[in-house]
Amino acid sequence: MSTKSQYGEVKDDYHKKIMAKSIAILVVCIILTLICLVPIYILIVNSTHSSNDLAQNPSRFFFGTHLGDNLKTLMNNLPADASKTAKRVAAQYSSTFSVGKGYLNSLIIAGCSTLLTVFFSAMTAYGLTVYEFKLNSAAYTFIIGVMMIPVQVSSAGFVRFMYSLKLINSFIPLIVPAIAAPAVIFFMVSYMKSSFPLEIVEAARIDGCTEFRTFVTIAIPMMKPAIAVQAIFAFVSNWNNYYTQNMILKNADYSTVPIMVSKVLAFDKNIDNGVNYLCVTLSILPIVVVYFILSKFIIAGVALGGVKE
Amino acid sequence: MASAAQSRIKSISYAKYGYMFIAPFFLVYCFFQIWPLIYTFILSFKGNQANNAEWVGFDNYSQILFGTGSSQGAAGVHEEFARALGNTFVLWFGNFIPQILLSLLLAVWFTDAKVKLPGKGFFKIVMYMPNIITAASVAALYVNLFGDSKYYFVNSTLMKLGFIAESDPIQFVAGPTASKVMVMFIQTWLWFGNTMIMLMSGIMGISPSLFEAADIDGANSTQQFFKITLPLLQPIMVYTLVTSMIGGLQMFDLPYLYHNGANFSKQLETVAVYIYYNFNKGTVDQASYGFAGAASIIIFAITAVLGSITFYMNRDKDAIAKKKQRKKAEKQMKAKMKQGGLSI
Amino acid sequence: MSKLTRTLALLASIAVVSTAFVACGGGTESTTSTPAANNTASTADNAAEGGDAAAEGGDAAAEGGDASTAEGGDASGELTAGNVSLPDTDDTLTIVCWTDADLQNMFDVYANHSDAKVIYQQCGGNGSEASTQYATYLNSGDDVDLFVAEAGWILNYINDDSMSAPLESLGITTADYADAYQYTVEIGTDNNGVLKAASWQAAAGGYAYNTTLAEQYLGVTSADDMQAKISDWDKFAATAEELKTASEGKVTMAATIGGLWQAFSTAKNAAWVNGTAIQTDVAKEFTDMIKGYVDNGYVNPNVEQWTTDWTNVGLQGETLGYFYSTWCLGEGAQLEQNGGTDGNWNIVVGPQEFFWGGSWLCVSPNCNTATEASKFVKAFTTDASIMEEYALYSGDFTNNKVAMDKIVADGSNSNPLLGGQDQFAVLSEVAAGIKMSDSITKYDQNLKDTFLDTLKKNIDSDTDTIISTFTTQALADNPDLTA
Repeated sequence: MSTKSQYGEVKDDYHKKIMAKSIAILVVCIILTLICLVPIYILIVNSTHSSNDLAQNPSRFFFGTHLGDNLKTLMNNLPADASKTAKRVAAQYSSTFSVGKGYLNSLIIAGCSTLLTVFFSAMTAYGLTVYEFKLNSAAYTFIIGVMMIPVQVSSAGFVRFMYSLKLINSFIPLIVPAIAAPAVIFFMVSYMKSSFPLEIVEAARIDGCTEFRTFVTIAIPMMKPAIAVQAIFAFVSNWNNYYTQNMILKNADYSTVPIMVSKVLAFDKNIDNGVNYLCVTLSILPIVVVYFILSKFIIAGVALGGVKE
Repeated sequence: MASAAQSRIKSISYAKYGYMFIAPFFLVYCFFQIWPLIYTFILSFKGNQANNAEWVGFDNYSQILFGTGSSQGAAGVHEEFARALGNTFVLWFGNFIPQILLSLLLAVWFTDAKVKLPGKGFFKIVMYMPNIITAASVAALYVNLFGDSKYYFVNSTLMKLGFIAESDPIQFVAGPTASKVMVMFIQTWLWFGNTMIMLMSGIMGISPSLFEAADIDGANSTQQFFKITLPLLQPIMVYTLVTSMIGGLQMFDLPYLYHNGANFSKQLETVAVYIYYNFNKGTVDQASYGFAGAASIIIFAITAVLGSITFYMNRDKDAIAKKKQRKKAEKQMKAKMKQGGLSI
Repeated sequence: MSKLTRTLALLASIAVVSTAFVACGGGTESTTSTPAANNTASTADNAAEGGDAAAEGGDAAAEGGDASTAEGGDASGELTAGNVSLPDTDDTLTIVCWTDADLQNMFDVYANHSDAKVIYQQCGGNGSEASTQYATYLNSGDDVDLFVAEAGWILNYINDDSMSAPLESLGITTADYADAYQYTVEIGTDNNGVLKAASWQAAAGGYAYNTTLAEQYLGVTSADDMQAKISDWDKFAATAEELKTASEGKVTMAATIGGLWQAFSTAKNAAWVNGTAIQTDVAKEFTDMIKGYVDNGYVNPNVEQWTTDWTNVGLQGETLGYFYSTWCLGEGAQLEQNGGTDGNWNIVVGPQEFFWGGSWLCVSPNCNTATEASKFVKAFTTDASIMEEYALYSGDFTNNKVAMDKIVADGSNSNPLLGGQDQFAVLSEVAAGIKMSDSITKYDQNLKDTFLDTLKKNIDSDTDTIISTFTTQALADNPDLTA
């Protein structure tokens, strides 16, 4: 028994411990991954089964053959000899969950809101960092102060106000308020403070650049990383916003994806479970696909201190 | 060195541009946020249903907070609001605790250089994924999977595996306790990835030399966690706590949509649902704008308290410390000058 | 760098321009472009179904030929409009509803008589939701000419002049409803005695049961025998016990508590609210009864009305029967979806004559297709020949005594889902006896929902606790009311 071998044993032991720990962690991570993915997987599997199959045996783990039929029902594209029941089901689903319309409406709302949010937040942040004026710190304090106010506390007044302005069933109350996003401004101000040299502004002035042009052509490109991160989070939160959209949009023609899902959930007749699952699948599909494309970037963004809703 | 142009620029005041740049924000904010908030405040002093135009003073507040007031239903109003507030905190607490524990554990594991974990990036991506899915879709997904009878996936699978009897399905959606647990679980499912990544960036901000020194001193990983990681993570943990609490006060989509049948589930009613339900009951004569307004203002007050905590913590501590130091130095200097000059 | 700069500048300007664009676009969308966009909902389906609808409509018209007593519609089948006082500036009739299946049936029939462009706008996935969403919708400025309201909450809308206009503005008066079931007219009249709404249906209800199960477990082979076994609530419970024993608890007597409540409560003609006071006598009686039912396994309290579970218990033979309204009995409606495809169901009156819901057509004050709206309302609420055609096509019990008596007398209706039975013959007396107008209040939907929810959640508590829990919640929801 030499000291050397003892040392080796300790080292071996240490390695074994690390190995064991790594394996244990791996197992936990795999379980968590399954918990995250299985519901989504079952959702997709179920949307490929017919309602009858699901009633006979609801615990299905493998893909079925009715995806096409379910899609046809959802698109109201049934053969002429389909039963009246099938036609009723198709008419109900297609008029409530009209996929293209939902994607388009959500895209318009989320897209415009995102553009307005990042542009005007960058602009406000620029105004607060670059210029010195009497109310500067008061304005900044105000923005930080209102950052945490939940949208719910003003919603009763908001709806009645929009009601009186006849802005119900309009995208304006969902898009224009995006100009004022205190949390995004807060983020951008901190970003500019740390990585935007004010000398550049002065240099631009010497070159005769107007203030607004300086902002658009010099500041915005320099703030690109911050803008990109905030744009993604703004887009996701607007795409997913059910609360405000549901208060304002009552006409099926303006329905967005979350509203459509909630309406499908509320059906009290002509329910077809396969199509139900298909609706939910379609509602999460675009955002999940985009997420997996941009995932590395998004995760880096969260780490940067993405705004938690 | 200053050129003519430079000195000309220096002499111009740019203050007006500052106002111009921040004007859109303030205009829009006042129009779409401040005025509705004031409007809500006014509504909270007006009556409900057929009395919606009447000025009732603090009646709504006294009904909601103390169960006394003009209507016979005051006790019920108070009971419902108290239940909603209770539900809000129970649901928040029940998802925050498992969420923070799980996230912390994962964050420590993922940042531990000694652990050889393959596919770390993949795990992070998958665990964050639930967070970006529409909450309405998540509610629909879980209602459809966890339905109350044998005709739904989870109950049916549990029956096939022999865990529960066919005649006795678990009431995941309608059951008073089970539905709450489900909402807590779903909230955790939605948020643990996000919290994990935030905590990871916090841990990675801790100087590695601290861990190296601890290693040399022979501290094991548990000791390192409790003596180094946790104390240094405290600010970000408190920040997560407060933002999550404020987020919890807004909890709406999931509790509102997680039900079977025509109406939302009263046992999951949160304050946000309470507000929405009361002002969204149909014609003006049906809706209870007064109660909705009063509940909104109460939530506003609670948020203000929580918000000021974060605000206090978000202050630029370095700047404040430096300011204090500078003042101290100035004082000392003045004192020395009084005493009769500096000793160089 | 300069390329990037330009791209971002472009992006920024797009943002600014799009604000302006959206601001204008939103405005026009809510007024003019809506009708064009709306068409998709119905016309495609009409076209698809036009074929067989026309065929059925053909013989219905032939039968209806001698119905010369029909008011409004003349022999040629031409639609008439009343003397309208609302504008006629739009050519698309837009009907806001949540009952798209009913509207589909109506459009199918209507297409045989008119080329007018009629569309529906679905607002709310179910009746409760519709009652809360309509108010916002009707005030949005979006096109709406007519809207459909349900018995449980119609009074909120017809008593609010900003929501509904008198039917007289479409040239329709109470005199047009001589052949209608009078309760529909009384409910459609607001507090000031103005006729605001007209119904196309008399929502009589019955107990539909699975004849295979009835024969297997109860030895019942005819509808008359079945009716004899459940002709009052005591017999109903006794039969339920017999069924439970015979099926070893596998089959329940009724699908849901909600259905039982409807059958139990409506026949009592007791209003939920008297003055401002909530009335709980019927609720108390029902609670006592239903607690026994649940304890004995006559009904499964976990099955929610109008859900997939509700459908499945019928499909899988776990319940003997459902309480249905007439609008559940047509082709493609609830009966068929709940397992009625094999024709092994029969309908009987059940322990009590009851009725369920009923929908009314109301006129929006913003109606801008008045002539077409007038024609449509007249066709489905006053024109005996069209209403007969509609009854035969949809299985719905229409609001016209002449039409319904004629169908029953002619024996022209035989429902394949009910094994050839004529549901109208079974239900015509029930319809004649409906007295809903005495008992309807504007709080009904809310109070009913609250009561049933409380009952199901607290089914193990004693009756007094359930009733007081309900009262507390109901008063909180409706500060106008007293205990």
